[in-house]
Amino acid sequence: MLEDKLLILKFNRGNREALRSIYEKYKNDLVTLAAALLNDVSSAEDVVHDVFVGFIESSRKFRLTGSLKGYLATCVANNARNRNKAGRRHQNVEASVVMPDANRPDAAAMFGEELRQLGWALEQLPYEQREVLLLHSYSGMKFKAIAQQQKISINTVQGRYRYAVDKLRSMLNGEVKK
Amino acid sequence: MRPAENINELIKKLKLKASADLDRRVHDDISMAPAESDKAKSAFTQPNIGRTIMKSPIVKLAAAAVIIVLVVLGLFEFIGTEKTSGVVWADVVRKVGASRGLIVRCSDSTASSEDDYSITYTSPTYCRKDFYKDGQIIRTGYTDFTGSDTYTLTDVFHMRKHSLTTTFKKSEYQFFLEWNNDWTNPEFLVQKILSCEHSKLGQKTIEGVLCEGIETTDPAYIGPLPGPVNNLQVEFRLWVSVETGYPVLYESKMSAEYEGEVWESENVTDQFQWDVELDPGIFEPNIPSDYERLTWPEVKEL
Repeated sequence: MLEDKLLILKFNRGNREALRSIYEKYKNDLVTLAAALLNDVSSAEDVVHDVFVGFIESSRKFRLTGSLKGYLATCVANNARNRNKAGRRHQNVEASVVMPDANRPDAAAMFGEELRQLGWALEQLPYEQREVLLLHSYSGMKFKAIAQQQKISINTVQGRYRYAVDKLRSMLNGEVKK
Repeated sequence: MRPAENINELIKKLKLKASADLDRRVHDDISMAPAESDKAKSAFTQPNIGRTIMKSPIVKLAAAAVIIVLVVLGLFEFIGTEKTSGVVWADVVRKVGASRGLIVRCSDSTASSEDDYSITYTSPTYCRKDFYKDGQIIRTGYTDFTGSDTYTLTDVFHMRKHSLTTTFKKSEYQFFLEWNNDWTNPEFLVQKILSCEHSKLGQKTIEGVLCEGIETTDPAYIGPLPGPVNNLQVEFRLWVSVETGYPVLYESKMSAEYEGEVWESENVTDQFQWDVELDPGIFEPNIPSDYERLTWPEVKEL
């Protein structure tokens, strides 16, 4: 936390090296989070790029009130959610040209063979549940922080998490057939 | 088929690397970002990190919490302890001051905390902190106090496989200790608790150890703040073994509103092992060869 506070202090003064340190420190986690949310590495990198463009622009006024990792993860989740919504609208308009999931072999396999099944199972979860699960289990955010950031009740957050875990369990234990 | 219990562990295994293309895009954007202006530089010709940081009441609160914990954890060792203020509390000051080494656990239940708990190993000249999340070590922090005019902090991030070494000028790092010199003085600390509205908690057995405790909820304990903070609430409790005179449990809880945001901190420090002889080798930063090593030497320009 102290390290992040000092980085932010320098970042607020426009120090580029602080920005680079922040990016280097969190880039892989953020790309992973975005990819797991969007099932697509290319879009994930666009999300992380967008988040850092916004972050750079906020340098003078940015104030860290919680964890920097949690803040960046929330930015990624918000950006990914917007892309997901836009993507769904696009799919509805041009349904005929959208490839079915089976034709997107990279989606489940992007995390490697060992985690292919998990990637596939995550992809089956409703977006909101997947988002809460990843923010909590992968990015380490507390339910309370997720609720505050998403402006929903903590009960809703915990409910989505429970549903997500239950479904993943079922899928990974083979109770739900692919 | 994966056991259900492994879902969280499985999710943590997800790992992608940012591509060289993304690195290039972001670094290009950073290069184009406005740099520190000449005006800003001239305004901070010989800046004082402490003064800059301490302009934020919230950071000041955070620093206060850290300082208080540090004082309880072992900084007594750097400070004289001639006078004391009570029978049990006098023992605390004397015993802690004489401790050669300390091992202790600190659990932070603040929502924004990255770890579940940390184990701290402190000697008069070194400190090491192992941070754990879900039973797995995620970070190790090493602090070297032996430099004549610098402190060196080395953080090893095990999940991200890199380390970050930062060197602080002692003269510029005093924000950690200088906010109010009194906060580094155990005599003052104990007297401060006693001088605030406080209550003695009597005796209680904590994990088989008969303890005597003291508590304050008086915001005056924190001292004056440089800016407006609303609804400042504090709770500090220190439990000391009646038999050994060593702290056994320290609990702190603080909350405040600053610029419309609620800031909260809640810590429990326990599992104290006092006066232990620590192997100097544990304070040598252990950075695996496949970790990326980063250094951040330009703190001076802060």
